[in-house]
Amino acid sequence: MTPTSSSSPAALIPEAQFAEAQLPGISPTARRSLVIRRIVGKLAGAAIVLWGAATAAFLAQAALPGDRATVILNIRAGQAILRTPEELAQINEQYGLHQPLIAQYFEYIRGLLVGNLGLSYQQYKPVTAVIADQILPTITLTLTAIALAWLILILWVTLTAGRGPRVSALGSIVDTTAAGLPHYWLGIILLLVFSVNLGWFPVISGSNPAGLFLPALTLAIPLAGFMGQATRTEFERALTQPFVISARMRGMGDWGIRVRHVLRHSSLPAVTLTGWALGATISGAVVVETVFSRAGIGKVLVGAVNAQDMPVVTGIVVLIAALYVIANLVVDLAYSLIDPRLTSS
Amino acid sequence: MSRKLSTVLPLLAAGLVTTFVMAGCAGGGAAVAPAADATRVEGGTIVYGHQQEPACVFGGWIEQAYLSSQVLDGLVSLDENHEVVPWLADSWSVSPDQLTWTFTLKNGVSFTDGTPVNAEAIAYNFDYWLGGGNSTAKVWLEGYYSSASAIDAQTVQINLSQPYPRLVDNLTQGYFGIQSQQALTSRTKEENCESPVGSGAFVVDTWNRGEDILLKRNEAYTSPPANAKHSGVAYVDAIDWKFVADPTTRAASLTSGETDAIYDVPAIEWKNLEAAGYQLEKFITPGRPQQLSFNTVSGPFADEKVRQAFAYSLDRKALVETIGQGVIPYEGNGGVSQSTPGYSQAAADAYSYDPKKASALLDAAGWKPGADGYRQKDGTTLSVVLPYGAGSIINADGASILQGVQEQAKAAGFQVKLVPVPQSAFFAGEYSTPEERDIAAGYWTAVTSGILWINWRANTTETPNYNNSAFYNDPELEALITAANNTVDVDAQNALYGQAQEYIADHALSIGLYDRLSTLAVSPSLKDVWQENAQGGPIFYDAYFVK
Amino acid sequence: MTTLEVTSLTSSPLPIKRLPLSLILSVVAIVFFLVALIWPAALATHDPSALNLADALHAPSFGYWFGTDEAGRDLYSRVIFGARESLFIGLGATVVSLSLALILGSLAALSGRFVSGTVNRVVEVLFAFPTLLLALLLVALMGPSALTLVLAVGVGTAPGYARIIRGQILTAKGSGYVEAAVALGHSRSKILRQHIFPNAVRPLVAIMTLSVGQSIVWASSLSFLGLGVAPPSSEWGALLDAGRLYLTQAWWLTVIPGLVIVIVALAATTVGKHIQAALEKGEK
Repeated sequence: MTPTSSSSPAALIPEAQFAEAQLPGISPTARRSLVIRRIVGKLAGAAIVLWGAATAAFLAQAALPGDRATVILNIRAGQAILRTPEELAQINEQYGLHQPLIAQYFEYIRGLLVGNLGLSYQQYKPVTAVIADQILPTITLTLTAIALAWLILILWVTLTAGRGPRVSALGSIVDTTAAGLPHYWLGIILLLVFSVNLGWFPVISGSNPAGLFLPALTLAIPLAGFMGQATRTEFERALTQPFVISARMRGMGDWGIRVRHVLRHSSLPAVTLTGWALGATISGAVVVETVFSRAGIGKVLVGAVNAQDMPVVTGIVVLIAALYVIANLVVDLAYSLIDPRLTSS
Repeated sequence: MSRKLSTVLPLLAAGLVTTFVMAGCAGGGAAVAPAADATRVEGGTIVYGHQQEPACVFGGWIEQAYLSSQVLDGLVSLDENHEVVPWLADSWSVSPDQLTWTFTLKNGVSFTDGTPVNAEAIAYNFDYWLGGGNSTAKVWLEGYYSSASAIDAQTVQINLSQPYPRLVDNLTQGYFGIQSQQALTSRTKEENCESPVGSGAFVVDTWNRGEDILLKRNEAYTSPPANAKHSGVAYVDAIDWKFVADPTTRAASLTSGETDAIYDVPAIEWKNLEAAGYQLEKFITPGRPQQLSFNTVSGPFADEKVRQAFAYSLDRKALVETIGQGVIPYEGNGGVSQSTPGYSQAAADAYSYDPKKASALLDAAGWKPGADGYRQKDGTTLSVVLPYGAGSIINADGASILQGVQEQAKAAGFQVKLVPVPQSAFFAGEYSTPEERDIAAGYWTAVTSGILWINWRANTTETPNYNNSAFYNDPELEALITAANNTVDVDAQNALYGQAQEYIADHALSIGLYDRLSTLAVSPSLKDVWQENAQGGPIFYDAYFVK
Repeated sequence: MTTLEVTSLTSSPLPIKRLPLSLILSVVAIVFFLVALIWPAALATHDPSALNLADALHAPSFGYWFGTDEAGRDLYSRVIFGARESLFIGLGATVVSLSLALILGSLAALSGRFVSGTVNRVVEVLFAFPTLLLALLLVALMGPSALTLVLAVGVGTAPGYARIIRGQILTAKGSGYVEAAVALGHSRSKILRQHIFPNAVRPLVAIMTLSVGQSIVWASSLSFLGLGVAPPSSEWGALLDAGRLYLTQAWWLTVIPGLVIVIVALAATTVGKHIQAALEKGEK
């Protein structure tokens, strides 16, 4: 890697993965303790990220304008007015809002540790239940989108990368265009063309499987374009590597080489980006859930921020942070499975 | 060649997309009209697309009233002639001093948990609302209600602290749905939030948050309101009450057959749906219309001339009729909407587009034309702040109309600063003081002109009234409204309410913009869906499918 | 076939000297919108906020190139006048994002174990905190405005760039010539100035153009969710959001602003890629 291969997404890859590659010739016991140290380090890091995200969410919510009890009452009533002290006292008492902020914070962190995220102000039920209701559609959507993105990516890159300047340029232009498509716009156009006009898919996606395709595709196309940009460069670089030439000399067919050697080699940046995408698709999910009338955590989040339903907001933040942490641990794992240099060492 | 291809391709793709989209617009789904001799089919599930998902079934939002009135019965109902008719109460009377109301209940009605709908339960519900169970119900009763008690099993007595002749009219609103006392006292808040127990035509079966609520038929239903079209249980088995926030998607779901009825039909889709054979219903909600009330205590609008000049500078009618596609009605009256009893046409006609008058009034008030097109006085620009609850109180059409107001007022020399206030900030009370805003936009649904009392009663430290959005404390106006509220004779009462509206118009305290609508579009294969007459909510009890 | 493939790969895919048409078109598009940013009146055909109620919802025509909206305002002129705010958000967010990323990235790469560890964690937390939520909270705090969007998008996209910059500096730090410079006894500040920063910062030019496009897309997404700039501003995302209601009857209100956003993002990205390619070529 030259020092200027800058925006190559490889730069996004945490250095721990490189560090692991530099472990040859260490005794098994030392290696084991190193591995344990790394696992502990990773878990500690994950805990810190969770705590940081939870604290940030708490602070941000605490900084929101207005008296929280007033907001709770006004939103329940649909009126934007001032409230009498008696009305406020009752709410403050019920949710512990009369306590100093720091006490509320410790109460909140203590709750997190025992898995109690509090009660929703608007729905009167535990936040864990609010989230549990909505998490499945979002996870289904996200995973389907990622799977679709990989499918598009593999087909498109294998088909077009390193096929001469004409096809390459075409492939790359499509990647760039796809990566730049705004979710909401793509979603609206897909909905209008395929649901409203052609009637191939339901207009209200709801939770049925037929309704999953368009929302997932909306998230998948830009993601495929984004990963494609990174993969294409790696793919074309890998095609010129000695092992490819030697494979060709051994008489291996072009497709075999592309699929068996080059793809595996060049998918590393895309794997990393997938971990990142898992977190980022949450933001995209809000838009998609709105456009396609799907249930999901994104819509709940927007509603909760609008209603200043603080326990729900903080609960979702912690959840997203947790998903992000898990996704990255999985990516680490996938990484060491795919990268030949890592397994051979 | 390659370079050409790579640049031409995206353009080609864009062109293709455009063609597809345009083609999409050309085709409008024609409704599958049932045959002329179509007959009623038993059962079935009505799939209904609603716009907003509430946090609970029962509550103080109008959206909740629509939903909870499927599940809860009220004491009384309103018929299409605006007469109060029996529902759970068979009859009622009021004492000569107007302070004691007595309701006699229908016999043999039970809540769906098996407990009887008796006087004790009714009395409990009144106290429950006042204690915070329904904040909107509370606003209507507060200051009048003193206690409720059961005389015997079927007779309940409501004691007032001052006369309230239109009490029963107000009780027709969905906020006053009656719930089982046992359910309210023995179940958790969460249970009462998600599936309140009433005696209504439907019961809450499941609520898939973010998606829909399934309402199942109450198989033991015996208590429809007197203005219903049939008696006994509902014709359909269930209602699938779906939440579809996007208006375009809602309309498309109807034409694609995914829903049988939708709420809040986008004005732009109205004509096409009508032409395709869908049943379209439009209900102008009574009460305060979407209006602009002026800050009468500070800023430029403290001067009555400037308020009048603003009113004359707007061509509200043309603006509303264009943006509203002829569907949204123009409303000139700032006090109450045209469907409200006691509506004053004179107040509505007080101001029409007259730039000359606007200009003369501003000249007289000392605001001279300035360099940048905005008027000035003593070095200050004629600049006013108009905050609005974007996406909550004011929808997309409304935001468009407000931008039109801004542009029209600009021609007269007003600089209108539009501030869309996010929901959380709006309900946190931002822009609620005279220092923060010059114009307040908003509506409030009601059954009678009694809404004037809520919106215009003086705001004092002893009896605060934060709903007085013009900050206008005036004994004369308040005396008119109070006198009206206490008048038993409906005609005399409405005459007084009319005077109050004219007073509001004469002093340009508030000007109307458009009427808030409750609209429905229904598939031709679904018959007898109607809108109740208090707030325009959809009623599915009488509805049935034909084939 | 196989040999042909290999030879074609050894030649550079896109020589810079023959300016490709895509680059030319991208530059033209960028110049056009920069003019719109500086002097919109020169390009617009109508007053962007003037109502023309008689001509509401007109399809694109000779009189109205992009058609009109529900109040008869000319969409083309609104797009032109919206360029200022949209591009301001794109550029502003990029500046915020890259400045933040430069600070975090350098701190993470160059400072001691404790500081770099802390900064790494902060970046991780930022990564795990959804940009959308950040935007929602900022809007609730500051009200919807262009500045809010700049901050939300800027802070939200910073951690990704911070990681790139950190990686860049680490690579430069470990490279042969830095080791050589250390061996030669050059001072730390001199090494930083002469070797590490130039290598770390040079690619930022390319990243910047890429980021402008992405920021515009991001900001328009927030506008789409109603968190955008106050009306009657014609910021592109806001235009699109307002047009959504008329989707089935007036496609131009949704399709055209969307295409404009895509074209600008694409043009910025194309230019960025060419700059990057030129830089890499210069390096070799």
